[in-house]
Amino acid sequence: MAARPRFDPELRAGLAVVGGVFPPTITPELIPFMRRSYASPPLEESLAGRSVVSEDVTVEGHGGTPITVSVLRDPRRSGPRPGVLYAHSGGMVFGDRFSGLDMVFDWVERLGLVVVTPEYRLAPEHPDPVPREDCYAALVWMAQQAEQLGVRPDRLVVGGASAGGGLAAGLALAARDRGGPALVGQLLDCPMLDDRGLTPSTRAFDGVGVWDRTSNETGWRALLGDAVGGPDVPPLAAPARASDLRGLPPAFLSVGEAEIFRDEAVAYASGLWAAGVDAELHVWPGGFHAFDIFAPHTALARSLVAVRTAWLERLLED
Amino acid sequence: MQELLGRLTALDPDASHGLRVIACFDELVLGNVGTRALLSAAAALAGCPAGFQQDHPPLQVRVAGTGDLLPPAPPPAGVERVDGQVSWLDRDGPPGPHDAIIVERLALALRIRHGRGRAALADRRHMAVLLDATVPVTARREAASALGVRGERRSCVVVAPLFARWTAHPVVPEDVVPSPHGPLHVLVVPEGVEVVGASPSGTSAPTAVDDLPRALRTATTALRLWDEGCGSTSHVDRFGGLVELLVDLPDEPGSSGDVDRLEAVVAHGWGATTLEALVQAASVRQAARLAGVHHKTMTARVEEVTAALGFDPLAGYGRARLGVAWLRWRLRHSRVLDLPAPHRP
Repeated sequence: MAARPRFDPELRAGLAVVGGVFPPTITPELIPFMRRSYASPPLEESLAGRSVVSEDVTVEGHGGTPITVSVLRDPRRSGPRPGVLYAHSGGMVFGDRFSGLDMVFDWVERLGLVVVTPEYRLAPEHPDPVPREDCYAALVWMAQQAEQLGVRPDRLVVGGASAGGGLAAGLALAARDRGGPALVGQLLDCPMLDDRGLTPSTRAFDGVGVWDRTSNETGWRALLGDAVGGPDVPPLAAPARASDLRGLPPAFLSVGEAEIFRDEAVAYASGLWAAGVDAELHVWPGGFHAFDIFAPHTALARSLVAVRTAWLERLLED
Repeated sequence: MQELLGRLTALDPDASHGLRVIACFDELVLGNVGTRALLSAAAALAGCPAGFQQDHPPLQVRVAGTGDLLPPAPPPAGVERVDGQVSWLDRDGPPGPHDAIIVERLALALRIRHGRGRAALADRRHMAVLLDATVPVTARREAASALGVRGERRSCVVVAPLFARWTAHPVVPEDVVPSPHGPLHVLVVPEGVEVVGASPSGTSAPTAVDDLPRALRTATTALRLWDEGCGSTSHVDRFGGLVELLVDLPDEPGSSGDVDRLEAVVAHGWGATTLEALVQAASVRQAARLAGVHHKTMTARVEEVTAALGFDPLAGYGRARLGVAWLRWRLRHSRVLDLPAPHRP
């Protein structure tokens, strides 16, 4: 096994609690358990005391199948606001459109962003391209309905965490390739970019933390089936495979030093720089996967939130 | 974190989530984190602000569940003040299910952080004292007495990860103690009386009070050698005197040429099964049966193992070398304590 950095002490303490809800190793047999354990709490609990309202809309997803999207906004704000299409986390196989969204509610409340979060369909029942194309359909809908939604079409960002970060990177590639909605940024939190599992960090955290190599294989195989790791995986599904990153919107990438996605996130940022794309990369010492979602009270998570909010503010301010 | 504790309770109402709170603070103390981090963890676990006040030097801190600092405020009336220090949760309404254990652990951690507990044995929990070989034996006997562990009777030490599954949980002295492998759930069980049903777990041989620190180490080694084949607990009897040897040996790569060379064997798909069969069997033919392969296949593998190790694993001291190296390899790669066993639906 490869050498691995230690977890930050506050985060290591957090794992004593996190591990019961989110085991480090997720096999296909555990997907039903994860769908229960990672389901979001009732929305009224999450939004209690917040100035955030959520409206559900049915839109046409991939292949014309109806999917639900939720539009989150701060009712105190009026006029066109910047918009974010946000893809939730959950390894492509679990989670729902409100899972791990507490920080997104903060963006709505503090920055006045309008967030659209689609209930994209999950693998393995709905393999690639369904999850991404559901999100892409929601993005196109958001751009087309910008005026009615109170969204500025010239301030559109895609974002997501973990699987959602990989989907967001895929959306940015798709929007570029198809001449789709113009994006001003892509926010890639601890993104799941590479199905090949070949980096040293992929192999360094077996059985510890959140989301190890086996979990990653579970997610990618569910999404890609037997094509996983082979020569025929499209870059839109696994953006690490994209050979041309030119012309993409500015990126924010954030990843833990102590997680399997570290090396692929760093490589993607390097690829963006080589292609002349702006990219801000943060690697958090001792950070496990998605530590800002699981342990937002820690010093490391508060630092992450501060720089991420600053990036959004610079990008989207009036 | 409060929300996660709530989810844990919903997923497994019978589990003892107070242990997770204890483990959380044990890690914070081991990690030497500061006052704000300790209060942040308490507030995040409780879902309401946490506060700390100290007389000398004067200090007053309050932190929200988000980890944000709040304006300082004095403690609410009626909270316990120990040694000029007081820790509390600012909760409106009825207390949460874990409030008592959160405040207890927070107070203990803050005492240590502010230099009042690190050296004083009185501030350590009895179990940690009882099982610490560096503590003078008189202090350990006092701790045993405080825990109700009787000196005239031998006891077994049973260790389990915090995430073990329990089927039988006797009322015996127990606690969570730190170890180099992370926090361990430890029970001291009188000889021949109680049955502990915790899977996975490790069980020591019956031991006199003065030797319990050693029993903890052997039980921990047995636990790290736990596998599905040994039932819920891995008893040191499985390995006899070998465990006595293994507790004192280092694990890390480079610490043993034999173990390092085994890595190359295990890299083969057939490696682990073959090595286990060779250790268990008396002959190549029997090893082939155990591994479920033709004996010519096993012969070829033995040749490959011999080439990789540089000695014949079935001749003379080669058998003992292979057995010890294999157990050390298993300890080096043990995931029993890393992997919180998920609560399977």
